Amino acid sequence: MSAAFWVWFGIAVYIVIGLGIALMARRRLGVGVSEFFLGNRSIGGFVSALTYSATTYSAFMMVGLAGLTYLTGVGALGFELTYLCGIFMMVFFLPRFWLVGKKYGYISPMELLSDRYQNKGVGATAAILALVFLVPYGAVQLLGVGYLMNGVSGGTIPVLAGIGIAVVCAIAWSSIAGLRSVAWTDAFQALVMIITSAAVLGVVVAALGGFGAFFSRLEEATPGLLTVPTAGGSWSINMFIGLSLPWLFFLISNPQVSQRLFIPKSVTAMKQMMGGFLVFGLIYTLISVLWGFSAVLLVPGLKNADLATPSLLALPIIPTGLAIVVMLGITAAAISTIDSILLTLSSVWARDIHKGLINPRVSERGELRVGQWVIPIMAIIAFIFAWWVAGQPGGMLNLMIAPLSAAASAGLLMAVPAIFGAFFWKRATAPGAMVSCIAGAILVLILQVTGWRPMGWWPGTWGFIVCVVLFIGVSLATRPPREKAEEFIGYLREALKKGNFS
Amino acid sequence: MTKSGWAWVWFAFLLALDIAIPWYVLTNVEKISGAFLFWIVWAVAAIISAFIVFLRWRGVER
Repeated sequence: MSAAFWVWFGIAVYIVIGLGIALMARRRLGVGVSEFFLGNRSIGGFVSALTYSATTYSAFMMVGLAGLTYLTGVGALGFELTYLCGIFMMVFFLPRFWLVGKKYGYISPMELLSDRYQNKGVGATAAILALVFLVPYGAVQLLGVGYLMNGVSGGTIPVLAGIGIAVVCAIAWSSIAGLRSVAWTDAFQALVMIITSAAVLGVVVAALGGFGAFFSRLEEATPGLLTVPTAGGSWSINMFIGLSLPWLFFLISNPQVSQRLFIPKSVTAMKQMMGGFLVFGLIYTLISVLWGFSAVLLVPGLKNADLATPSLLALPIIPTGLAIVVMLGITAAAISTIDSILLTLSSVWARDIHKGLINPRVSERGELRVGQWVIPIMAIIAFIFAWWVAGQPGGMLNLMIAPLSAAASAGLLMAVPAIFGAFFWKRATAPGAMVSCIAGAILVLILQVTGWRPMGWWPGTWGFIVCVVLFIGVSLATRPPREKAEEFIGYLREALKKGNFS
Repeated sequence: MTKSGWAWVWFAFLLALDIAIPWYVLTNVEKISGAFLFWIVWAVAAIISAFIVFLRWRGVER
């Protein structure tokens, strides 16, 4: 039987298992908005850890990070581990999000901001920021799936079909039982991601003679890739900070991730979620980077670094079956990120835009219905966006994917000062939060589109500096919601002391 | 300083090391035992310190 047949067969098995898990999750689905979008804040530690991992780590890891390592060397490891180190901040933010989420019943991080700043405009601003930057980010994931399926099937699966499969899975898994089906399928997908990637790395390292021989060959063949800056000039400090800064704050800047901080059912589940993610992240990062380094040795001279993973999978040392399973693992990484984005954006639209601005008197059932309709609508927008990008000439595609991803992470970074202020600064104000978000995002977009980098600093770096200055300056010049700030931060101070969180 | 304050200081120190060591100390070490090993050890240190902080958390289970 042909490779294309086995690719289709693998996809079919993957969809059937995912669908089965989602339908099982539906049997535990209760009623209400909190149930649909947050699993009634009662998700266990194991599933919380895996859904957090699967949502965070997308197709970028085994394709983008491997390609970045292939092209630029060890700095890619530092960049990704800096992100993981940023998770240290979870020791400050996880208990805070979790405690106020339970006390005030927040559904989305934007609702938290609206309430804390006593201004629905703050939540709406952050919501629009998320909609603007997360839809292209989701589209990039779809594109990744499309090209991967096309490559592994030898071109028999059209790119558009791959994108379509990913969209349908993401809609199904986020619609069937909301957070419960997303979390359960994420847990399954996280296991697929890590097991398949570890297996294929093991095969490649064994073919290279084991880790000792692999590292020796790497030092001999490409010593310039093992330092920063590299011999080729990559990874200046400006580049490192420009790429790492947006990802350092990923856990609070990306709402599909920060919303997960509301879901653990207990303190024990919180600990398991955080510990599990840190271990998962370290292993998955090392696998992805070593995968990129093994491509340096086995498939040198590629013109496009993003082809490192497909080229490695096409080598005769990788059995076809394993290549297909790895393709499914990468597909799982992409879909588990997209369905979480869809679910979060739908909750943000329903709670922060529809209920917050358009129809404040909407019933809970009406709000839920709006959210459920938004899931396919957002998916279709991302699909159209991905379709349009896929239709561009090849060069155009390369020119668009990287800037889109970079702009998305840098744009979302602009909500970070407002989030810090909500938890730590009583003097923070709604105008400060809104002005800093809007001005920072506009600046990031302008710098990203024009390619202008004053003093060599990246758009995210400039955007963040301007955003912080504006947030502090405008807050000091305007009136804070003192009563709410005292109550909110005062409650946290007591609760954190009680739980030994501080 | 509170325990939380010390945790912020430790986090800032880790971030300073993240740039200082690879770019200023190990920049000429073109081996696996250079920046590659440093970043792995550094990440493990960050993870262990996070575990030290969050394992102290306690709370009333639902």
